[in-house]
Amino acid sequence: MARTTEVDRILVSVIGNRFDAISKEIGQTMLRTSRSPIFSEARDFVTAIFDREVRLVAQTAYIPILMGAQPYAMRSIAQHFGDDVDEGDVFILNDPYRGNNHPPDVTVVKPVFWEGELLFWSMSRGHHADVGGGGVAGYNPGARSVWEECVRIPPAKLYVRGEPNQALWDVILINVHLPFLVEGDLHCQVGACNIGERSLRDLIAKYGKETLYAALEQMFDASEAQMRAVIRDVPNGVYTGERYIDHDGIDKDRMVGVRVELTVEDESITFDYSESDPQAAGYVNSTIGNTTSGSFLALFTSIGSEVRFNEGALRALDVIAPPGTVANAAEPAPVTANTIDAAQAIIEAVWLALAQAVPDRVDAAWARWCAPATMGFNPRTGRPFGDIHFMAKGGAGASQGLDGWDHLGTIVCSGGLRSPDPELHELVDPYTVLQYEYWPDSAGAGEWRGGMGTTYRFRVDAPGIPAAHFGGGNRQATAPFGLEGGLAAPHHVLALRKAGGEVIEVDTESFYNLDVGDVYELQVSGGGGYGDPRRRPVEKVQQDVRDGLVSPEAAESLYGVVVDPVTFEVDAAATRGLRG
Amino acid sequence: MSLRVGVDIGGTFTDMLVTDESGDARLYKAPTTPDDPSIGLMEALERAARDRDVSLDAFLGEVEAIVHGTTITTNAVLTGEGAVTGFVTTKGFRDVLNMRRGLKARQFEKYAPPPPLIPRHRIHVVEERVTVDGEVMTPLAEDDVRTAARLLADQGVEAVAVSYLWSFLDPTHERRTGEILQEELPDVYVSLSTEVLPQIRVYERHSTTALNAYVGPVLRRYLVRLREELAGRGFGGTLLIMQSNGGVMSPELAQRFASHTLLSGPAGGPLAGVFYGATHGLANAITIDMGGTSFDVSLVAGGTPTVTTEGEIGGHRIASPVLDIHTIGAGGGSIAWVDSGGLLAVGPKSAGADPGPACYGRGGTQPTVTDADLLLGYLDPAFFHGGELTLDVEAAKTAVGGIAQALALDETEAAAGIYRVVNANMAAALSVVSIQRGHDPREFVLVVAGGAGPIHAAEIARELEIPLILIPRESSVFCAVGMLISDLKHDYVRTYARDLDKVDLTEIDSLYREMADDARATLREEGVPDDRIETDYAVDLRYVGQFNEVEVPAQSGGEVTAEALDAMVSTFHARHDTLYGYSMPGAPVELINLRVSAHGVTDKPQFSTVEAGGGDPSAAKRGERRAYFDGEFVEVPVYDALRLANGNVVAGPAIVDQPTTTIVVPPGFELVCDHYNNFLMHPEGRDLAELRTQLVPEDARLVAAERS
Repeated sequence: MARTTEVDRILVSVIGNRFDAISKEIGQTMLRTSRSPIFSEARDFVTAIFDREVRLVAQTAYIPILMGAQPYAMRSIAQHFGDDVDEGDVFILNDPYRGNNHPPDVTVVKPVFWEGELLFWSMSRGHHADVGGGGVAGYNPGARSVWEECVRIPPAKLYVRGEPNQALWDVILINVHLPFLVEGDLHCQVGACNIGERSLRDLIAKYGKETLYAALEQMFDASEAQMRAVIRDVPNGVYTGERYIDHDGIDKDRMVGVRVELTVEDESITFDYSESDPQAAGYVNSTIGNTTSGSFLALFTSIGSEVRFNEGALRALDVIAPPGTVANAAEPAPVTANTIDAAQAIIEAVWLALAQAVPDRVDAAWARWCAPATMGFNPRTGRPFGDIHFMAKGGAGASQGLDGWDHLGTIVCSGGLRSPDPELHELVDPYTVLQYEYWPDSAGAGEWRGGMGTTYRFRVDAPGIPAAHFGGGNRQATAPFGLEGGLAAPHHVLALRKAGGEVIEVDTESFYNLDVGDVYELQVSGGGGYGDPRRRPVEKVQQDVRDGLVSPEAAESLYGVVVDPVTFEVDAAATRGLRG
Repeated sequence: MSLRVGVDIGGTFTDMLVTDESGDARLYKAPTTPDDPSIGLMEALERAARDRDVSLDAFLGEVEAIVHGTTITTNAVLTGEGAVTGFVTTKGFRDVLNMRRGLKARQFEKYAPPPPLIPRHRIHVVEERVTVDGEVMTPLAEDDVRTAARLLADQGVEAVAVSYLWSFLDPTHERRTGEILQEELPDVYVSLSTEVLPQIRVYERHSTTALNAYVGPVLRRYLVRLREELAGRGFGGTLLIMQSNGGVMSPELAQRFASHTLLSGPAGGPLAGVFYGATHGLANAITIDMGGTSFDVSLVAGGTPTVTTEGEIGGHRIASPVLDIHTIGAGGGSIAWVDSGGLLAVGPKSAGADPGPACYGRGGTQPTVTDADLLLGYLDPAFFHGGELTLDVEAAKTAVGGIAQALALDETEAAAGIYRVVNANMAAALSVVSIQRGHDPREFVLVVAGGAGPIHAAEIARELEIPLILIPRESSVFCAVGMLISDLKHDYVRTYARDLDKVDLTEIDSLYREMADDARATLREEGVPDDRIETDYAVDLRYVGQFNEVEVPAQSGGEVTAEALDAMVSTFHARHDTLYGYSMPGAPVELINLRVSAHGVTDKPQFSTVEAGGGDPSAAKRGERRAYFDGEFVEVPVYDALRLANGNVVAGPAIVDQPTTTIVVPPGFELVCDHYNNFLMHPEGRDLAELRTQLVPEDARLVAAERS
């Protein structure tokens, strides 16, 4: 334990804010300098600070599904190296069975020393455009083991006392398809950690380690108190939720079940996933880090939005996920799709459970992620490329008093996933975007309507491009559910129109080959609705029809509002007749 | 005699500074009239004329230039009261504007998105498409444009924005669309993205163009009326409008590029930093402006305010260059609260001006920064805003008492806590614009605008080891001074996306020349002689594959040689390293945008200096007050700022009352009245001459390069 120094409450606030600011600063560097559009355009990364006891001090989660998993990676690195940590070292990890959540999210962390003593860790974790293996941008729906998914990097030193560990760089870069992107992004992550180190050293210089550590203890206690206060407002009880992953890519006819038993007892919550299906043959399996992260995210997006996320907040929470279940697969099961497929099902299941206790704090389901990753060579630029098609973002779920946000993307990103710029996308990747706009009638109807989903169509301008389509919500059972009488959104509608005229119905967790002239079409669903659609104010329904978001037919059949398709006048009598 | 007038229309007061050739500068105030700000403006002019014992017509006859900062466009966006606007865009891309790149700022909170500027039913799509290579893939369907025009007419629009994909590579479709719209809708205000911002990134271009259309008619109406009024009262000089980029422009241009005024409100601040820094030969300044609800920070390096293309207003992006002003929710009205974990937090919620802090006695019950400042003795309850308002100490005590109880502290300790937390928040905002962007705050003078800033400035400076603070005697002058020293300024950009080893120098030259010719033509139209035109060139570079650029000056000017390009690349590596903790010399670099920034240099007002007096400030002493320093209340001297004379030195702890604010001089600091009757504050025992060597004017870009 740290030696305790008396620190007043005010200084705790000041120092707490400073740690948060440093974590953000690390994030800004990632955002501005990364190569992979997955990092820099979509912001698929997270940054954090840990203390010398490997406790989470602060973090910035643009993509929050990465947030709860970081402590596992940090502990794994710290345990592996013990005392063998020197100033100027930089560590790397991506192996999901050595603490990482899934292989494409590469963890880079730098110890921060002061007067020869290790005091903090500065961490960045981001989704790389490629981690080798037999997949596309890391996604291999055909994988039956982790070796088919990636080059596995156990906890290792990327720099030793400030000097690059060249052999490791060489091994990594020779094992990936896009070394040019991966190398740049690893530098970006190291740079981000350097920025964090610089600011943390300034902070130590200013306050001294005793004061900082005394403040940390109080920060953790304060976050714990926040979390416990939030949980106190949820009635005690055991609540259950069940949701399904579309399938695992291997057995395409079988959905994979995630079941949670949520026990709320006074000031603590236990998430128990014991009743979930056994681990799957394909790559939808979760790791304990990812399952923990999904559980926390489900809380932070419902009851815990104001809680400062650090080690203290986690003390009130417990996750049980027996090894061998889909919630905690055993080595060497494949796992890459877990931050999407397993996490989405976990969060939805937890929300369904919570909705039994506090329905006004929970959103209807958000549209699940469901789009391809593609990789190849772009003859126009003369360079290889790798990308995930982030324009295909669905709508957010509605909640008590609020329509869902449009085109916000999956809940695992919680509104932090920035849609790419179509022009920058065309500049780098060999595609022409043909359509990128809201998909009418894609949202779940409700007194509060789900957010709009998106129609995204692109033409392929280069030959021989493999696409790995991944994600869920491609069938009605996995489409976004409504709450409190709100309706589910439709499932996605996906097709690949080959240049030769053939139309292929696209399934998720599958490979497709793209060639010049092919058109890939995605209609990605909106969010679920909240509350009875017949209670939605008539003017709002009329407005949605005027804006072309809801068809006159849907207005009539789902909302009970009759709107003239040309003048947009409401037929009051007919509407009264339907609404009663 | 020729007079120059700077007018800043604030939320409450319209501040006007009138200068003449002798260096005389006088300030006038009139209440702001939000419904028609020109009324308050004319009233301030009346007051200036009365002060000189002349009629308004006679006064205006002597005015050579009026520089006008207006927030009329800003308010239109923030209140949703801009023009009824339509939008025309490429078929298939109807919602890119309103998707706002699919981001939610406060990710875990439940709240509604900002309302769209333009609802979907007024967004019309047109068949047309230009490719990434600038080739026409689908010709413009003129019938679609005419159909859109008829629908827009039915919808009663006052303005239309047009923005197509890749239009900056081939503007033909947009221009033709503009012609058709003008034919069909002759009275409607039309904005084309290729005129407003011919630059890559669809949403950013859409949004900037949409904002331009949304506020265009509002500004046009206002300026037409104001010019008529001024002309009717004998004004024959030049009217100039303040822009968000820190320059000014003619009213004709302002009407076309109304969006360039959207963030002009605080733009006078950084310019004032340039001016006040220069009064002591200092070229590096950080300016702060602490108002009722927000705290604005900006940085001036090497005499130049920093510029960003990441502006935002009301949740909508402005991607044209604007002065880089970082704002956080910290002001006198910021509310202090204890979170569910028992920690003290201040802001971002604010009691605003109404009801305002508890001590205003207007029904506010929540503890604010101003309440804390009052309880700590920094404010005089009987002399707030020059005695306009008497502060209610008991109300402040009750409000802060609630916090104190939750923190198990007494009221004074809680007030001191609020003071510390808000100071730390503001210091963090300063580090964002300085340390995080590669500048060392110890090389900067802190220039403090009015409001609550001077109460907090010393502690902010202490936190960041900023060695010198400058506080203008009359803080209301601050923004108006900035306006009077601003140049005419126009920014141009052309996207030229190429690997550096594939660029064609003659293409770059011709793009630069095109922009420079545009710039010169515009400035000539505004009456600037050629010898007053200065042109800066810059490039946006990035490592191949990156998605964000770093702007680097093109040091050789407009003529780009292979050597000049190499020099820019070296600067880029160095700047990247300073900003982001690493660089990759040898890695391929690509060019994205070419930029030209042209200035029409204006005459700068001269201010007269005063004779030096002795160091003894006692003539200005107006009493004593109990104030809280270093953990206890002590009796400290209180001085009248207006009676302090050049050379007077006030040792802390002390308080200096200004008409609208208070300077807190903590123990360990001293305050000196300078030769312009402004105030300098620095740590005790530091010598001004020595401080000046630490703050020696330098070009921050070069400093950054050397450091790497």
